[in-house]
Amino acid sequence: MGRKLHKGLREILEQKKGPIVEKWRDLIHKSYPPETAQFLKREKNKFSNPIGSSIEESIWPLYDQLIGEADPATTKKLLDNLVRVRAVQDFSPASAVQIIFALKKIVRKEVFGIAQKKGLVKEYLEFESEIDRFGLLAFDVFMECREKVWEIKRNDLLKRPYLLSGGMCPSYMMKRGIKHLEKLKKEITQH
Amino acid sequence: MTKELTPQEMLRIDLTPPNRDWMDIPTVIKPGIYCYPAKPEKVEAVGMPNPHVWSPLDDDWGLPEDWKETFLEGMRERLNKHRSFKIFMDICVRCGACADKCHFFLGSGDPKNMPVARAELIRSVYRGEFTKAGQILGRLAGGRKLTEEVLKEIWYYMFQCTECRRCSLFCPYGIDTAEVTIIGRELINLFGLNINWIQEPVANCYETGNHLGLLPHTFKQNVEFMCMDIEEFVGIKIEPPFNRKGAEILFVTPSGDVFAEPGIYTLSGYLMLFEHLGLDYTWSTYNSEGGNFGFFTSLDMAQRLNAKIYAEAKRLGVKWILGGECGHMWRVVHQYMNTFNGPPDFLEEPVSPITGTKFENAKSAKMVHISEFTADLIKHGKLKLDPSRNDHFKVTYHDSCNPSRGMGMFEEPRYIIKNVCKNFYEMPENTIREQTFCCGSGAGLNAGENMELRLRGGLPRANAVKYVHERYGVNMLACVCAIDRAVLPASMEYWVPEVDVCGVSELVGNALIMEGENERSVDLRGREIPGRGEVKEDV
Repeated sequence: MGRKLHKGLREILEQKKGPIVEKWRDLIHKSYPPETAQFLKREKNKFSNPIGSSIEESIWPLYDQLIGEADPATTKKLLDNLVRVRAVQDFSPASAVQIIFALKKIVRKEVFGIAQKKGLVKEYLEFESEIDRFGLLAFDVFMECREKVWEIKRNDLLKRPYLLSGGMCPSYMMKRGIKHLEKLKKEITQH
Repeated sequence: MTKELTPQEMLRIDLTPPNRDWMDIPTVIKPGIYCYPAKPEKVEAVGMPNPHVWSPLDDDWGLPEDWKETFLEGMRERLNKHRSFKIFMDICVRCGACADKCHFFLGSGDPKNMPVARAELIRSVYRGEFTKAGQILGRLAGGRKLTEEVLKEIWYYMFQCTECRRCSLFCPYGIDTAEVTIIGRELINLFGLNINWIQEPVANCYETGNHLGLLPHTFKQNVEFMCMDIEEFVGIKIEPPFNRKGAEILFVTPSGDVFAEPGIYTLSGYLMLFEHLGLDYTWSTYNSEGGNFGFFTSLDMAQRLNAKIYAEAKRLGVKWILGGECGHMWRVVHQYMNTFNGPPDFLEEPVSPITGTKFENAKSAKMVHISEFTADLIKHGKLKLDPSRNDHFKVTYHDSCNPSRGMGMFEEPRYIIKNVCKNFYEMPENTIREQTFCCGSGAGLNAGENMELRLRGGLPRANAVKYVHERYGVNMLACVCAIDRAVLPASMEYWVPEVDVCGVSELVGNALIMEGENERSVDLRGREIPGRGEVKEDV
């Protein structure tokens, strides 16, 4: 998907994986109100903490995708796991996906100094662009999720009881459906 | 309460929300979370107060001038009437045991959806207006005065609780937060502020006997329509009895089973089972609703709508009542019906005419759950079953909140599923049985306009389904509740699109070997059963 990362820079990013991803996780937790952030950090059971576990299960492998040779399908799946939850919560689109861009700030603090000393500034900037690209992909995923929500809303409206929306009796609708099918059958046989 | 953002606000992207006391964080009412307001004519239809047109996004909610006095008087009345409500207001020590047990909190991350905080919205008014400490010390004693903003906040969050009672399971004091929501909604209804998704079914049920307002002939036609399906797929012609006086059993099920997909396939399962047994029973086109949205409005309304079940049983002269796969119907039946409208001395203690089993658990209310009835039949070897017809399903079971937590039914549906399917996988233990997660759309929140709320609330359940889907390839989520069947498909479509939803009786219908049936190459949905021949070309 992206360009192959410079070996030297990759080694530094690998060494710093622990502190970087942990800080990234804290930052994502803190995008929720303080009481919630505490809970997301504290509760370790996957089923008692679905938001926390979706974050935990996404960010570590996502970081690997960032510093390795990203596989498009895996990256998308991981971003989906991270963003799908935020797409139905109280976040604006920008707040929902900015957790990816926010990673730049953390990495800069942890790695930029070392990279500079080793003369890897250009490579470092390329890596930041990779984070930007992941951020944009996250926005694609966010939009897919939002469109899905609207599709579900539309389907729900179509499926919902006709009488409640001031329509007609379901039996009539069903009969009309059968007549329509019979008409279609006839047309198919005729042609 | 919502407004257009200024350019400055639009440019600000919050990463960290403010760290302030909950009382200082204003509630912003958002589309996607709330349900549309009740139509005035539907409020009027059942004689409820202040029918009017209003919108949650307007500043003016059309409250009557004396709304505050009415609310406080209503609260005083209920504090005196319901000892439980008074205790729940007084004894919470805010230990937080319930805080992280609510599916809405777990799915939204909104701290006001912690059950303790949601109840605190009302409890703070109780302290501020009714207790000396709160009146004198105000916020220091956790009290606040009732204002329009406070009322709007209460409204918003009372409709973000599905009264599933998972939180109550963890409260060391036994506080049932669902009951606080029940009273909260009663108070809201003193000003005509119900949501339409509850109010319209209430009015319909009052006028025609079911939530959809199906008239008797339509109800009958729909059941007969499913009989046509059965004839086509199974080869058995069924002519179900309606309003038959002198039948032994009256069958009551939610009207969702009669018209909504996939509930209609559960209905096929009932019809086939009764036909196979030659059961002496009847449907009623007047008592054509097991569900009770009155329960989400006020206890008085729940009582009014529930009354028809016993009244119809009396009119038809049946011996006892058999109930279909419904959720809150069973909570009302199990915990309220006997005192609402009973005891029904004109009915007999239910005894299965096929096995002779006495349903002692139903001794008082005289109403037996279809899963209890079916499990008993299987236990006594009265059904011939071919579970391989459900081989294309890998099934997991969602304990619907009310039949599980509300009436303690855990084993019967599992026993049935294990007998009619070969592939059954449980979800993790902290998500099933007593600890089951709500579908996220119960208690009248199964509308379409609040889909974001429903999807948030559905996340914890879906998260567990996803786990068994990924681990065992589960592709069917069985349940015993019509609301579950109506709403879980949407939740699955968003979170785990590979998983479908069905009622337990649908699986029974698939496996049931009936005398004179055809080769059964398709299931009750008309879909080919893999390896059992081709389906006829339809279109």
